Amino acid sequence: MVLGFGEALTLTNLAFCLLGALLGTLIGVLPGIGPTATIAVLLPITFFLPPLAGIIMLAGIYYGAQYGGSTTAILVNLPGEASAVVTTLDGYQMARQGRAGSALAIAALGSFFAGTGATFFLAAAGPLLSSFDLKFGPAEYVALMVFGLLAATILASGPVLKAIGMILIGLLLGMVGTDVTTGAQRLTFGYIELFDGIDFIVIAIGVFGFAEIISNLEKGGSEGVTVAPLTRLWPTRGDWRQAWPAVLRGTGLGTLLGILPGGGATLSSFSAYSLDKRLSRHPERFGKGAVEGVSGPEAANNAAAQSSFIPLLTLGIPSNNMMAMMLSAFMIHGITPGPTVLTNQPEIFWGLVASMWLGNLMLVFINLPMIGLWVRLLSVPYRLLYPAILLFCCIGVYSMNNRVFDVVLAAGFGVLGYMFRKAKCEPGPLLLGFVLGPLLEANLRRALLISQGDPSVFIERPISLTLLLATAVLLVMMLLPAFRRTREEAFKEEEA
Amino acid sequence: MDRPGATSKGNRPDLLTAALFIGFGALGLWSTWGLEAGSAAQMGASYLPRVVCGLLIGVGLVVGLQGLRHPALRLEPAQLRPLAVILLSIVAFAFAATHLGFVIASLILIGGSTLAERGGLRWQTLWLALGLTAFGALVFIYGLGVQIRLWPV
Repeated sequence: MVLGFGEALTLTNLAFCLLGALLGTLIGVLPGIGPTATIAVLLPITFFLPPLAGIIMLAGIYYGAQYGGSTTAILVNLPGEASAVVTTLDGYQMARQGRAGSALAIAALGSFFAGTGATFFLAAAGPLLSSFDLKFGPAEYVALMVFGLLAATILASGPVLKAIGMILIGLLLGMVGTDVTTGAQRLTFGYIELFDGIDFIVIAIGVFGFAEIISNLEKGGSEGVTVAPLTRLWPTRGDWRQAWPAVLRGTGLGTLLGILPGGGATLSSFSAYSLDKRLSRHPERFGKGAVEGVSGPEAANNAAAQSSFIPLLTLGIPSNNMMAMMLSAFMIHGITPGPTVLTNQPEIFWGLVASMWLGNLMLVFINLPMIGLWVRLLSVPYRLLYPAILLFCCIGVYSMNNRVFDVVLAAGFGVLGYMFRKAKCEPGPLLLGFVLGPLLEANLRRALLISQGDPSVFIERPISLTLLLATAVLLVMMLLPAFRRTREEAFKEEEA
Repeated sequence: MDRPGATSKGNRPDLLTAALFIGFGALGLWSTWGLEAGSAAQMGASYLPRVVCGLLIGVGLVVGLQGLRHPALRLEPAQLRPLAVILLSIVAFAFAATHLGFVIASLILIGGSTLAERGGLRWQTLWLALGLTAFGALVFIYGLGVQIRLWPV
């Protein structure tokens, strides 16, 4: 930990932490731009930075967006981020009652508390889980990845079958290029440019960056919005008393759900809201300006944003599409996330953990005293924003190899992403499949090579068997009508 | 594919999904046709891709059949203007960056992309294009050392 603060406190790393937090708040506040697209745009640029600084910045964008998203939710009744959708329910009502300042302060301080809690949990759990990993062979890794991929589809929103299909497409895209074992070219259609495989950045920018811009323009963009006036910023004592228990619950729930595959910020905030509503003695206050309805979900989404790093940093398995982005940010610098990072490059792990706490601290100061500045940003129309995003996307893709081919391919993925949106398919699972595809194939081949083609290797080993059984249980649960109905209801609330 | 349905059945987004999944699966199978598959113990290059394609086609068929039986739901109508303008601007940027340098490419991209929205050209567009180009050149090319030529040779 001391090593971590030593690393995180260098001037460069502090500066990039601040930059990430600022950028995260910015895109969090603005509705049409999400952290996934932003990180996709900035990924190629981190190649030009020192490894730790780049990763610190990208992480800052992710949790920074959780802070910024609540601002828009409370003041304009528009979720700046998907994870802030529930905050609009009670936050905007508070603002209409003239308690906007109170809601903002509680959201920011609750997030800070949750961020601190989850970061300490990450620091404590990381080394523990890493040692567990030493018992993992190829069979266990295959089981873990199958479990992770399927669990991610079940917990994420949208129909499960579509999500599974998207994973399969992702796996297929991950196989494009030269086969590592046999040296044969596959799925390249004769293009030399594809022999090294498709670059993650091309897919991410195409499917998230370009497709998002096209869809937003189709909806007519936004012309800037007017904002509820801000009066006092400090919450009343009554608000405090009601908010704190919800913050504690949100932190705990968010930390747990963040670790689960497919968990992450959005799911946690919804779960925290329904938990608080169920536990409340006056559930009828929810939706009419209940302060717990702001503090609980806001704490939960920030806690989850931090704790979703745990599976990535300890096992090398990304649990959602944001972590898939982070995985490729590590890879750009030749670092394979996983247990070896902690033993061979402890400065990366601890530096990142320490920077998360510092970043959360910075965010409280970025968000509260400077709130007026961020609010003014909301009046910038989308017409002026999207050309800038487009330019950064193009620079990012083109600068990888200075090849026209990459940009055209990314534009092609833009069209594909646009069609997926029309078909109501979530593109997130595709990225997960793409990132895990090569790992899954390599481990599957190794496991079956050792067992001489006998698939029973996966059920003879206890850890692998447990993971596969858990996957089977999840699948069976999905087929049970009662469970499916609850899940659909949960997501219907999300869409409302 | 997205003609408005005459019957009351057929979930169009699901049918489009099925078409995409089956299309990808078939493309993958076709493309790995000549490659050796090998056995489970000694997997060849096309073993896993074919398994994945098979699953993909299966999932596509199920989604498609369900979509046929579900109540009708139309696709949101596509608008060609944003799609075409944005794509053309991106491709134009790539070619211009290679042959004419970053400054011209960036001006083309920003000028072009603002045509995606109705309302024609405005003075604002010019300032936006100049400002963003200067910002891009300073931050990315001077600041971060991205290797793109600034001017035509």
